[in-house]
Amino acid sequence: MSTVYFLVQQTMFFSIPLLIVALGGMFSERGGVVNIALEGIMVFGAFAGIVMIDAVQSAGIAINGQLLLLLAILTAAATGVLVSLAHAYASIHMKADQVISGTAINMLAPAFAIFVGRVINTRGTQQVRFEDWFHLEKVPVLGSIPVLGDMLFTNAYITTYLGFFILIAAWALLYKTKFGLRLRACGDHPQAADSAGISVYKMRYAGVMLSGVLAGIGGLVFVIPTSREFNATVSGYGFLALAVLIFGQWKPLRILAAAFFFGLLKAVAAGSSGLPLLKDIALPSYFYKMMPFIMTLIVLAFTSRKSQAPRAAGIPYDKGVR
Amino acid sequence: MDYIIEMNGITKKFPGVIANDHITLQLKKGEIHALLGENGAGKSTLMSVLFGLYQPESGVILKEGNAVKINGPNDATRLGIGMVHQHFKLVHNFTVLENIVLGVETVKHGLLSMEEAREKVVALSRTYGLEIDPDAPVSDITVGMQQRTEILKMLYRENEILIFDEPTAVLTPQEIAELMKIMKNLKEQGKSILFITHKLNEILAVADRCTVLRKGKGVGTIEVAGATKEGLSEMMVGRKVSLEMAKSDIDPGAVVLDVRELTVKNKITGKNLVCNVSFSVREGEIVCVAGIDGNGQSELVYALTGLLRAENGQVFLRGKDITRATVRERGNRGMAHIPEDRHKHGLVLDYSIAYNMVLQHYFEPAFQRHGFINYGAVYAYAAGLIEKYDVRCGQGVKTAARSMSGGNQQKAIIAREAEREHKLLVAVQPTRGLDVGAIEYIHERLLEERGKGKGILLISLELEEVFSISDRILVIYEGQIVADLDPKSVTYQELGLYMAGSKRKEGAS
Amino acid sequence: MNEIKQRGLWGLLGFSSALSSFAAIAVGLLFGFFLLLIANATDAAAGFRTLITSGFSDLKSMGQVLYFATPIIMTGLSVGFAGKTGLFNIGATGQFTVGAYCAVFVGVRFSFLPGLTLCLAALLAAMLAGAIWGSIPGLLKAWLNVNEVISCIMMNYIGMYLVNYLVIQTIYNHRHNASMNVLSNANVPRLGLDRIFRDGNIVSSANGGIFIAILAAIAMYVILEKTTLGYELKACGLNKNAAQYAGISAKRGIVTAMVISGALAGLGGALLYLSGAGKNIDVVDVLAQEGFNGIPVALLALNNPIGIIFSGLFIGYMTVGGFNMQLYNFSPQVVNMIVAVIIYFSAFALLVKGFIQKLGQREKQSGKEAGGE
Repeated sequence: MSTVYFLVQQTMFFSIPLLIVALGGMFSERGGVVNIALEGIMVFGAFAGIVMIDAVQSAGIAINGQLLLLLAILTAAATGVLVSLAHAYASIHMKADQVISGTAINMLAPAFAIFVGRVINTRGTQQVRFEDWFHLEKVPVLGSIPVLGDMLFTNAYITTYLGFFILIAAWALLYKTKFGLRLRACGDHPQAADSAGISVYKMRYAGVMLSGVLAGIGGLVFVIPTSREFNATVSGYGFLALAVLIFGQWKPLRILAAAFFFGLLKAVAAGSSGLPLLKDIALPSYFYKMMPFIMTLIVLAFTSRKSQAPRAAGIPYDKGVR
Repeated sequence: MDYIIEMNGITKKFPGVIANDHITLQLKKGEIHALLGENGAGKSTLMSVLFGLYQPESGVILKEGNAVKINGPNDATRLGIGMVHQHFKLVHNFTVLENIVLGVETVKHGLLSMEEAREKVVALSRTYGLEIDPDAPVSDITVGMQQRTEILKMLYRENEILIFDEPTAVLTPQEIAELMKIMKNLKEQGKSILFITHKLNEILAVADRCTVLRKGKGVGTIEVAGATKEGLSEMMVGRKVSLEMAKSDIDPGAVVLDVRELTVKNKITGKNLVCNVSFSVREGEIVCVAGIDGNGQSELVYALTGLLRAENGQVFLRGKDITRATVRERGNRGMAHIPEDRHKHGLVLDYSIAYNMVLQHYFEPAFQRHGFINYGAVYAYAAGLIEKYDVRCGQGVKTAARSMSGGNQQKAIIAREAEREHKLLVAVQPTRGLDVGAIEYIHERLLEERGKGKGILLISLELEEVFSISDRILVIYEGQIVADLDPKSVTYQELGLYMAGSKRKEGAS
Repeated sequence: MNEIKQRGLWGLLGFSSALSSFAAIAVGLLFGFFLLLIANATDAAAGFRTLITSGFSDLKSMGQVLYFATPIIMTGLSVGFAGKTGLFNIGATGQFTVGAYCAVFVGVRFSFLPGLTLCLAALLAAMLAGAIWGSIPGLLKAWLNVNEVISCIMMNYIGMYLVNYLVIQTIYNHRHNASMNVLSNANVPRLGLDRIFRDGNIVSSANGGIFIAILAAIAMYVILEKTTLGYELKACGLNKNAAQYAGISAKRGIVTAMVISGALAGLGGALLYLSGAGKNIDVVDVLAQEGFNGIPVALLALNNPIGIIFSGLFIGYMTVGGFNMQLYNFSPQVVNMIVAVIIYFSAFALLVKGFIQKLGQREKQSGKEAGGE
């Protein structure tokens, strides 16, 4: 039984960031802007958040761990928005190729994190270390619920709950509000939105900025539970989130399912030597590392013909062309 | 005089083109006012100015006598101006109701509240006789219902001035009659209507007055009562137009194209797009496939020309089964193809006109050796065609196809296809979007081809065209050929019934 | 008169392309200087001077420029060739990596091949591996409509992990956590370049690879501009539907383009690790930067193969500058950031070029219409 708990807990650590970032990508793409910069924005967000944590911790400021984490999350979100604005400006105002602009940000992010990391780091290394003040041994009351308490409310981080909160909020925002209706119209038929008096530019900016917020948070949420230092990379998680988005066919609940599927794969990979059945098979760890990417290719192969991608995603909106 | 909208001396320039040159248009309250002109006469530009999508260089717009500035669709809506665009502006995965409320949503506690909107829409649809299903996704409803949704969008916003941009292009004659009734109904309820069209009988049927545009200039405004078709068309084109084509009797020869029980399926939904179609085309005859847009014409052509795989059935070209043949094999066997969309299929717009002229020939020994293209030969060949077919292009054979006018692009395609060794010409809407002069030119070329004994399969949405040049009419409805008619012994109305699927000929496949 | 106007316009067009690339470079450099200023104001000027001049400072540095430029000219050609046919090959990194592995594997294990044949075999193996790696996104796109950007990204990671695994399994040097050294005759001959590009006793890593890269660029130019294959591939890239209409198989076009593109990137991988500079494949979970650098190289040259030689030399030049900048304790990452900024602004540059082109066409059209009436 403890193996199962362990697996569920590990799965959470890997799937929650995927979920958050993929939901970010969803807002961007449903507004009509393809955002392959998710990876880069995650790096920026994680870097800013961890640097902030490190600064507080090394200054010796006594602060509640969860509060510090929340502040770091806000820092990551703000950084994400700033970076996403660069992508939004290129893709919306300048009508640039969205893939190229995204690639630029993906290249910039790790270089920036290493460069700045070395400048601000007294040790002169690029890694930024932090102490884990955020781990929850057991959530009061909830942690005592049988089974569920062991799975979700022990050995956890508040980021897990944040992830579920974001999922619900994202679903409601997309389907139940005026904003969501308008955003979806801009991603599928911007001309229709424009003729109904909706500013396609503004909605698309909003979509990309939301993706910046969520990717920034996602970067931090990825690093906190799985590591004690940040080394200018999120290991391709931004790209995996993109795959999750496609898996999830741009719909929040399916994205949840896809994120958990990938998270489980990762958890199995990370713990393969400790898991009874997999230990005997003894596949090389590289096999598990490759798995999510191979799975994505296979699923893409089967789903691309019927893809429900927003119709106008990736196409700059030009008022003159109707 | 009570004008609800006046556009006085509107001038709108695009780089190098004066789309509107001091045009004046006055719309009375409660009238149906037609705006007539050929493609490219400036009708759409003028309406875009009224709708706030373009800002004019000069001229004023008055609403009930007061000058107004319209900076965008929101301003237009505020002034009570609404528009049904030629290409519907509907989000395919939204419901009818969602499309109607988009942009003017009702919100309660931050969440969408659709119930009130639904009640209002249902009430409006009753008042104006606009039958719709508010909860159906737009991708599932008919073109007619999509148009009614667009009209409801305007009514929901309580617009007083309704612009209809070429609303009949996608409708059957019966649906057109229905629309005319709706428009008259709207007029009786006090709405003022601007009706953009290039179809003369529709104007005579429904409009009170008519303003005519030609090459960006206003020709004049006339009362429709007392106007004639001939008079209107002369105003529109600027010269007398013969509405009839002089055509010799046919003398059809051997069968060129034989189609047997052809079926094409949609790969994703599995729905039949073309269903069990059989017909043949002989040498020296023009066979026209008539029908409302979207009834399987495109897929039929794709299957015949090799762009789409047929699910079932056979196609024979000059006696040989070409059902599984590649595009190139079909071409070599004698099939030429003027495609439906000259920008999508017909031309590589960023290639020069010369490159485009050898699109199906570049691999032939005359134009290449050991895989290297012989540019001298290509340019010489293209120059010959440009000369012969009077294709106007600024920089000769090296002109980029993109920089040519639509008429000349079409001429280039026709030159290329007509000069291919062929026995069968598949021409899909060859006159779409062209002015009268170009249309006449193309019809003459088609008749010339017919005179040379080529078989011609013409796919057309324009009934005038169908009647004026075809020798046989095949009516396509929902992917099936529902009638094989003789243009001399069938009326517009009858043809319309077949096209709408409400009539079907015994014996037709 | 018309003639002059026309030529003026075309001149302007060519000029505007070059101009927009130079503008992107200028903004990128400015950004870089700005970064140096923030990081360390006192050394910024000296560091920046090193960055932009040291590639020319002596013959050895110039040799290093050639050495760094060689692989990225190849990946630039890879991205550019795919770009000419309407595909965005962001997978050059993965193709580069598998090419590198196969070249090194042959170079280490095929000791039975004498002299130059070993080098040739290694280069061919790299091209083949790159071609196979490129063909997968091509096949997926052609037959199953899979977006090549996404599948290329996936192939990059699969390639990286696979190569790390294979290096460990087959040609592992435990002490350096990297691949073993290749046999000396697997290396591309230096062709005397080491004797020219040297600073006293310190030789540069310049080698015959640069000539292979230049030959590849010329070959790409000839294929695209002079042959029926190029005519077909460009038609597919410019208008896939029209190509199909004309009987050109767009599916075959996509696959062919990705195979050639992949082979070019794979060859790039070989040229880096068979340079004789003592470089080995490190077993780290990081995607190869040389592959991504192909993107700015192709972008700056607007996919023109001859232009790619020069933009590749430029990025190589910057790399040498970034390397030497470490003298002032600046991390060479500055170069990557500058390159990223250049990519960002080149995306705009394409737009500026398109805008000028459109303007020119409208003028042409209006001139024609005025003349016609």
